Amino acid sequence: MHDGVFFEDSGIPVATVISAEFTRAARAQAEALGATDYQTVVVAHPIQPLTRDEVRALADKAFDEIVRRITA
Amino acid sequence: MSPVERDLAHAIESLYARGVTDGLPVVPPTRALVERAVAASGREAGELVALVPPNYGRATVEKIAINAVMAGCRPEYLPVVIAAVDAVCDEAFDLHGVSATTNAPSPLVIVNGPIRGPLEINSGAGVFGSGWRANATIGRAVRLVCVNLGGARPGVVSMSTLAHPGRYTYCIGEHEEASPWESLAVEHGFAPEQSTVALLAADAPLGVYAQRSRTPEDLLPTLAASMAVISHHKMTHWGDTLVVLSPEHAKILGAAGWKKADVRRWLHERLQWPVCELVPGHNGGEGLPEHVLAKFAHPAAERAMIPKFRSPENIKLVVAGGTAGRFSAIVPGWTFSKGSNLVFRRVLS
Amino acid sequence: MTEYLDPTDSVAVPRKTAPRPASLDGKVVTLLDISKAQGNHLLDRLEELLRERATPKAIIRKKKPTFARPAPDVLRQEIVGATDVVVEGLAD
Repeated sequence: MHDGVFFEDSGIPVATVISAEFTRAARAQAEALGATDYQTVVVAHPIQPLTRDEVRALADKAFDEIVRRITA
Repeated sequence: MSPVERDLAHAIESLYARGVTDGLPVVPPTRALVERAVAASGREAGELVALVPPNYGRATVEKIAINAVMAGCRPEYLPVVIAAVDAVCDEAFDLHGVSATTNAPSPLVIVNGPIRGPLEINSGAGVFGSGWRANATIGRAVRLVCVNLGGARPGVVSMSTLAHPGRYTYCIGEHEEASPWESLAVEHGFAPEQSTVALLAADAPLGVYAQRSRTPEDLLPTLAASMAVISHHKMTHWGDTLVVLSPEHAKILGAAGWKKADVRRWLHERLQWPVCELVPGHNGGEGLPEHVLAKFAHPAAERAMIPKFRSPENIKLVVAGGTAGRFSAIVPGWTFSKGSNLVFRRVLS
Repeated sequence: MTEYLDPTDSVAVPRKTAPRPASLDGKVVTLLDISKAQGNHLLDRLEELLRERATPKAIIRKKKPTFARPAPDVLRQEIVGATDVVVEGLAD
């Protein structure tokens, strides 16, 4: 989250992809830094036991939202 | 209720309501109590000791004193608490990772040197247990700083799946007087007359019973077998981890002429396995990560040995606990992905 | 009522997110792997999708040494100096 906030501060739009269980942590961390309008892109949890193809499928699903997050 | 009782109840409840406790009641940090603690530190209230990850709140002497008062510290503990806070905020400790991870580490404070005496820091019987104000409140103060200045709120930023009871407090002294060897601090370059803290991002202690062992050759395989399962039985390349030897166990090794370096080397050599036994799916789904497996043409047949610990020096030995009882403990560090290392600070008082 | 001193410290400063480009056409996109296991597979697929469905000027792949710490300053500056947008993942 710190990296994302740093990039946004530096004028670079960021899409941070996180798993659903970390939505609250990401929000709390962003708010603690004052980045109240910082938004993440959420994919389903869990990630670690997935196969490569299952992880790739998450990318397909999240792609449009990722593009929306870094474009106007 | 008398006015005094009402004030007391209000103090306890209002601090709970602010969300600044660890779940146990705290001592209300009045200005007078905090000023007394700051004075005992011998430093200026506004002096910045460290920035506390992950929020990077400013740990000034006064902010540390407020949290130490809340934890129940006596004013004279402040130099130890300040040194410990300085240590956990060292880049090498990686408090950012320690506070945010789904794993369970908690800062363990290991105190060496003469300050253990006047502060009555327990290094003997029940060293990890309850009953000693210094151990209980110094460890707790570090935790409160991590939460209140670092932002490590459980379930919000601190996402540990299980955590462990050391997240209330985690502080021990080394029983230097019962050790056949130089202390942990002396081994790391400090003088015996200096007091130090060493901070380890530590999992809960795992007890090792070795009652019938009479020689190093009896004791060390038993210790090694418990160390083998740190994290899981196929975890490798682990980093700093504490082996807490009881005085009786340390005596077995010392009396046989073994130095600390001999013990470390023996354990390191014992704790390694061929690649073929570490392939994911063989005897459990865990195993070597992809980038390590990629180094071998046929991992399932590969006999090259992979060690549990990166080096013998990652095995940190301390002597602690009561002089009766042939029990030691393994305290795994949190060393994931170039994570946390043992960090020392001198106690300045 | 007795005064109790504040054990916390707020470091929040008001921040705004960066302005967004209208599209990714002709833009440099950096895919930042935070070094958690599996994240590379997600970013591999995102790279393919970006090439199929957008026309970025370039796609740069970067990797943090560890997910357990913020990226080193050198890496941050390197990214900022060379990219228009960043996609980072995968935190789980």
